[in-house]
Amino acid sequence: MRAKFLNNKLLVGVMFAALAVVPFVSDSKFLLSMLISIFILAVFGMSYDLLLGFTGIVSFGHAMFFGIGAYSVGILITKTKNPDMLYVGIGIAVVLAAVLALIIGALSLRVKDVYFSMITLAFAELLFIIAEKWSTLTGGNDGIPYIQVPEIFRDRTAFYYIGLAFLIVMYLFLRRVIDSPLGRTLQAIRENEQRVESLGYNVLQYKLVSLVIAGVVAAMAGGMWAILQRYVNTSVLGLDRTIDALLMTIIGGVGTLVGAILGAGVITFAHEWLSSLSTTNPIFERWLMIFGVIYIVIVMFFPKGIIGTIKDKWGARGNKEENIHGTQANQRGESVL
Amino acid sequence: MSLTLNLLLNGVALGMLIFLIAAGLSLIFGLMGVLNFAHGAIFIWGAYVGWATYGLTGSFILAILAGMVAGFIIGWVIERFFIRPFYDSHVAQILLTLGLMLVLTEGIKLIWGPNILGFDKPELLQGVVTILNDPFPVYRIFTIAVGALILIGVHLMLTKTKYGIIIRAGVQNPEMVQALGINVRRVFSLVFAFGAALAAFGGVISGPSFGSIFPELGMQNQLAAFIVIVIGGIGNFLGVAIGSLLVGVTQTFMAYYVPEAALAVNVALMALVLILKPEGLFGVRR
Repeated sequence: MRAKFLNNKLLVGVMFAALAVVPFVSDSKFLLSMLISIFILAVFGMSYDLLLGFTGIVSFGHAMFFGIGAYSVGILITKTKNPDMLYVGIGIAVVLAAVLALIIGALSLRVKDVYFSMITLAFAELLFIIAEKWSTLTGGNDGIPYIQVPEIFRDRTAFYYIGLAFLIVMYLFLRRVIDSPLGRTLQAIRENEQRVESLGYNVLQYKLVSLVIAGVVAAMAGGMWAILQRYVNTSVLGLDRTIDALLMTIIGGVGTLVGAILGAGVITFAHEWLSSLSTTNPIFERWLMIFGVIYIVIVMFFPKGIIGTIKDKWGARGNKEENIHGTQANQRGESVL
Repeated sequence: MSLTLNLLLNGVALGMLIFLIAAGLSLIFGLMGVLNFAHGAIFIWGAYVGWATYGLTGSFILAILAGMVAGFIIGWVIERFFIRPFYDSHVAQILLTLGLMLVLTEGIKLIWGPNILGFDKPELLQGVVTILNDPFPVYRIFTIAVGALILIGVHLMLTKTKYGIIIRAGVQNPEMVQALGINVRRVFSLVFAFGAALAAFGGVISGPSFGSIFPELGMQNQLAAFIVIVIGGIGNFLGVAIGSLLVGVTQTFMAYYVPEAALAVNVALMALVLILKPEGLFGVRR
């Protein structure tokens, strides 16, 4: 029982409940905005965890979906000059993300797994360049400024609760996916692809579904991001955005879902803190480098991230299925510690 | 010289630069199954170390040597300390090398700053020559010549020397090579470091060719190299060479006629190859 402590529904419930009372305790606009951005990034990170942590595939183009969400909402609202087009924009983003995920998945999931990382990276770069060059639609390098937002999002506290609700709904949805037969099959693919295939499952289709779900959730997060920032530029599509998702999931804990939420919090607060330190020493301007080093240390020595490592310490036995290093070793029939 | 020939030569020169990165990447992948996402960062480290050495000494040859040594050392360290513990896990390798790419690129910004630096051509290679009554930069010719020399040299090394035979055998079946009493681990390390040195060499050569260097250049060229590898077929040396030339030439022509679509065409080319022949044009399905 104790090993399950951190994934315990109760604990996650307490976390969400604690977040729900924050506006009563503090009315700092800065803190609320920061927490909203953490909620949105956490959803983005969780969608990435579905791929990395639960399906065992490494995408380096996840920003594509986030960016599609942000641009769909931004473009639709500014072109129609109607803030309520937000909802249509998110609908369009979902469809676009699903179609894109299907195309890219069909192209790249058929070949070796490392190809997938490479090809997603190339497609993300392509999308980035399209957004940069197609300036009549996207505003090019200047991006889309002054996005009008619906009335309800102008109130910080209201937005805060919408953001929190968004996070909770997406968390429950992804949890539901992971605990469903589909999710179980995905985790089986992560553990031993050949075996799942020989059992008669169409592995490609399962991976495609995983990619589509992850893409759609990420696109919704992107849409929310556009509303929060009221501004969209090419940075939503860049490799840095994908690296954000990667850092969040790895630091928080791969294959735990909650880890992405924790990771989003850690990254956002630490980024803020390190940026404020940059006046004292220029090395803090390169905060990404500091994160890169932490990331490398975690991948090498704590492959389960914060959540997984705490869980191991807490419980007597580690949960070996949640080890990113285990995948290949398992396939070769070697034991994983 | 007609415009077509001019573009073609420029394309070949660009293709040779891409080839220098892609060759190491492909060899490493073919031999060890490791896709090194830090390869572009090594390329740009080579360029920066070369730039610094060139600035200090004024000697382009020393710049090339320093860049290659830097690349070799970075490659060796990456293989020894970051790849070797994780030969069993592709996921960990991909994640780690991407992290290294991040740290190495940020490291450049830390040392040399994030801005664009001008990289002048050495005096001897400045100016233009006349080909069929039209001027063509000497440096481009130099690039093509150097690229061709490396191509032939590595090809001969792979096919004629004992080391080359070991490497090719290792690509086919590393366990068997190990069983025959050859220390495959050491071959792995050497090939990794050699591939990295090749990329760094490409970095130093590219600097004056592009006229300037900046940290993100590494990632851009790495992407081109990835596309080349998918097109040419991974692990196939000549396939990579032909893929590089193909991508270099298409990119140059597109950059002239439809500049907006230059990268799009390469990605489209890659998508096409993936649909028709997923193992690459010259690859063998394994």
